[in-house]
Amino acid sequence: MAISIQRQTGRLLAGRAMQAVTVAGLVGVLSFALVRMLPGDMALRIAASRYGPDLLSGTAADDVRAELGLDQPLALQLADWLGRLVRFDLGNSLVSGQPVIDELAVQLGYSLWLAGFALALSVAMAVPIGLIAGLSAGRWPDRAALTGAILLRALPAFVTGLCLIILFSVWLGWLPPAGFGTWRELTLPALTLALGLAALSSRVVRDSMVAVAASPYFAFARVKGLPERTVVMRHGLRNGAIPVVSLLGLQLIYLVEGVVVVESLFAYPGIGHALVHAIFARDVPMIQGTALVMGLVFVAVNMLVDLACAALDPRQAAR
Amino acid sequence: MTASLEVDGLTIASGGHKLIRDVFFTVRPGVPLTLLGESGSGKSLVVQAIMGTLPAELSVTGRVVLDGKDILGTDRRALWGRRIGLLPQEPWLALDPTMRADGQVAEVYRHVRGLPWSQARQSGRARLRELGLEAASRRYPFQLSGGMCQRVALAIARAAETDLLLADEPTKGLDRALRDDVANGLKAEADRGRSLITITHDVAVARVLGGKVGVMLDGAMVEYGPAGSVLDSPRHDYTRQLLMADPSAWAPRKPLAPRDTVIEARGLTKSFGGVPVIEDVDLDILAGEVVALLGPSGSGKSTLGNLLLGLLRPDRGEIRRKAGLSPLRFQKVYQDPPSAFAPHQTVRTAFADLAKRHGLDWKRFVPLFERFRLSSGLLDRRPGQLSGGELQRFALCRVLALEPAFVLADEPTSRLDPITQREVADLLHELAAEHGLGVLMVTHDHAMARNLAGRVIELRSAEPDASSPGGVTAPA
Repeated sequence: MAISIQRQTGRLLAGRAMQAVTVAGLVGVLSFALVRMLPGDMALRIAASRYGPDLLSGTAADDVRAELGLDQPLALQLADWLGRLVRFDLGNSLVSGQPVIDELAVQLGYSLWLAGFALALSVAMAVPIGLIAGLSAGRWPDRAALTGAILLRALPAFVTGLCLIILFSVWLGWLPPAGFGTWRELTLPALTLALGLAALSSRVVRDSMVAVAASPYFAFARVKGLPERTVVMRHGLRNGAIPVVSLLGLQLIYLVEGVVVVESLFAYPGIGHALVHAIFARDVPMIQGTALVMGLVFVAVNMLVDLACAALDPRQAAR
Repeated sequence: MTASLEVDGLTIASGGHKLIRDVFFTVRPGVPLTLLGESGSGKSLVVQAIMGTLPAELSVTGRVVLDGKDILGTDRRALWGRRIGLLPQEPWLALDPTMRADGQVAEVYRHVRGLPWSQARQSGRARLRELGLEAASRRYPFQLSGGMCQRVALAIARAAETDLLLADEPTKGLDRALRDDVANGLKAEADRGRSLITITHDVAVARVLGGKVGVMLDGAMVEYGPAGSVLDSPRHDYTRQLLMADPSAWAPRKPLAPRDTVIEARGLTKSFGGVPVIEDVDLDILAGEVVALLGPSGSGKSTLGNLLLGLLRPDRGEIRRKAGLSPLRFQKVYQDPPSAFAPHQTVRTAFADLAKRHGLDWKRFVPLFERFRLSSGLLDRRPGQLSGGELQRFALCRVLALEPAFVLADEPTSRLDPITQREVADLLHELAAEHGLGVLMVTHDHAMARNLAGRVIELRSAEPDASSPGGVTAPA
């Protein structure tokens, strides 16, 4: 049995690796196509970003066009981009001239900090709220938590973010509304993301708690004579964590799109912010690189979630 | 150390309504006590009263005396696993799904008896080995059969070595061979000098255990005495009924007159995850006959039935239904009646929805309800407020309202107590005779199969690790 579980894990990893390759190919082609479908003259927009609108002239745009091969047939441009992708060459930013990979390394790091902090904050909120709601299932703390969760999840991240700015920056003046550097700047964007995440995961913690506490194995563990602490530690936590961890894969979708919106709103120099700017500037290599890295991060984290689920729940590992 | 337990004048009430009235018995080492009775007779409340796990809204009076000390009303948690052990109902649900078998036994040694982990693990494996579970000790519950789970639970009970052991419906959901296995296991515990209380609706278990038997009806003990005299010369009417309700005591039935084929299968094959479950099975069901499908758990009985109904797709083979019949006329009665109804709506709503969906008149249901002795007051209850027998009869009404030509009855009586079981069996047989219904009844009860069915089909293969797939062995 142990061997078959290991084999299953190996199959799972191989599957995710295939998925990563597929995602890279799809994102590569899609981002290429989408950038070229944007209205306006691409060369003109790039020239504007590079030299500023004042120095902009038709000649500058033509130079850019020739330099980047934008006058070439589309198929040729696509083949060129995919060829470089295979060699892990993401090219240079059209605006700054720096290698895309270097810029992304910095921005991705910042974004991971933000996402990680948001996730930690959401756990810190969701677990206690979920436990309290679960223990008082059907009574007012449970209903209050449900109402709060529906409201927070229904609000788009930019509305939550604006509300937090108004409250903490404008009215109370405790935290800066934008910027980067210390935990003070990190707190509001992370809190915005965390509230949306916690809205969903607190409900899952609650349901999971109710299910485990009512389960025959929980009752049997008590009857065996185990002390309450041991019952919860050995039979409650692991079983209760399974649905919560499984949900993380879904929550990532929220986190990835949330990062784009929240970083723009709070002017936080992460990968989402970079993506929005690259789109304005038609910085094609940056757009393609950013989308690619986001897609791959998504696959990688989903793989970690799969592994965590398999480690927590032997039934999933054997499936 | 040994334990003796005396229960005297035990009365449990909810509001003004008495659920248990003046129940009394004594248990001594080596003389097991079996409480017999159908579901709803209050047997499980007695266990909860001894364990101290009754819901707070119930009031309890009387005495529960363990070794000379009245423990009723005291907090008994400190006694659990030390003086009182419990063998749970349906151990495949009571074992932690994410912990290996040996860990669940060893933790008793570690956390209840305070041994260091290394010794606890050794002792845990030793208990499993005694019960023939050496190979299973590193497996998770989902990798074990029902019978193996039951033995793991027994190993846990042995590890605790409590002097008093309570077994709550230990054979629920197990087939006949496993049932005898469990009963013998419990008997061995009693012979080792433990005081044993077993709650069951299975007369066969009471016979194997011997000792004393108490028969419960509607919360009262109607008969109490040595097993031999209660089971062989019962004095109370209800005890007689209970004994007669056992399928082995059923009177032979008038043979049915089967007609043309309703559904036939040729060369059916199905595997799950690479493991063949059904291999090359041919089957015919005729109108107006009852066919029993027998076989141990895991032999593919339910799979075969679901293939016939088209709920599963076969890997190979084909299924031919009698021409001109709508698929709606091939119906299924489920094993667990409560889970076949939506819990939040009344039965009346469920039937109203059925009428609306299929364009039926409510008048269609009325004679069915009468036939099944379901009074209209029951219609306004939710599934949780009805007994398993009542719900199963509603489930039958629901299926029959669609005028089926073929019904797959998947262990329709295994969750019912003996008397209700007999009623449902009688109904199925009558319907086959009167309406020319073709019935395929999945069961693991040989006596019932022989009594009810014109033909018996048996599938082989047992444990999940056995390599031989299910196939028809003995069409009788």
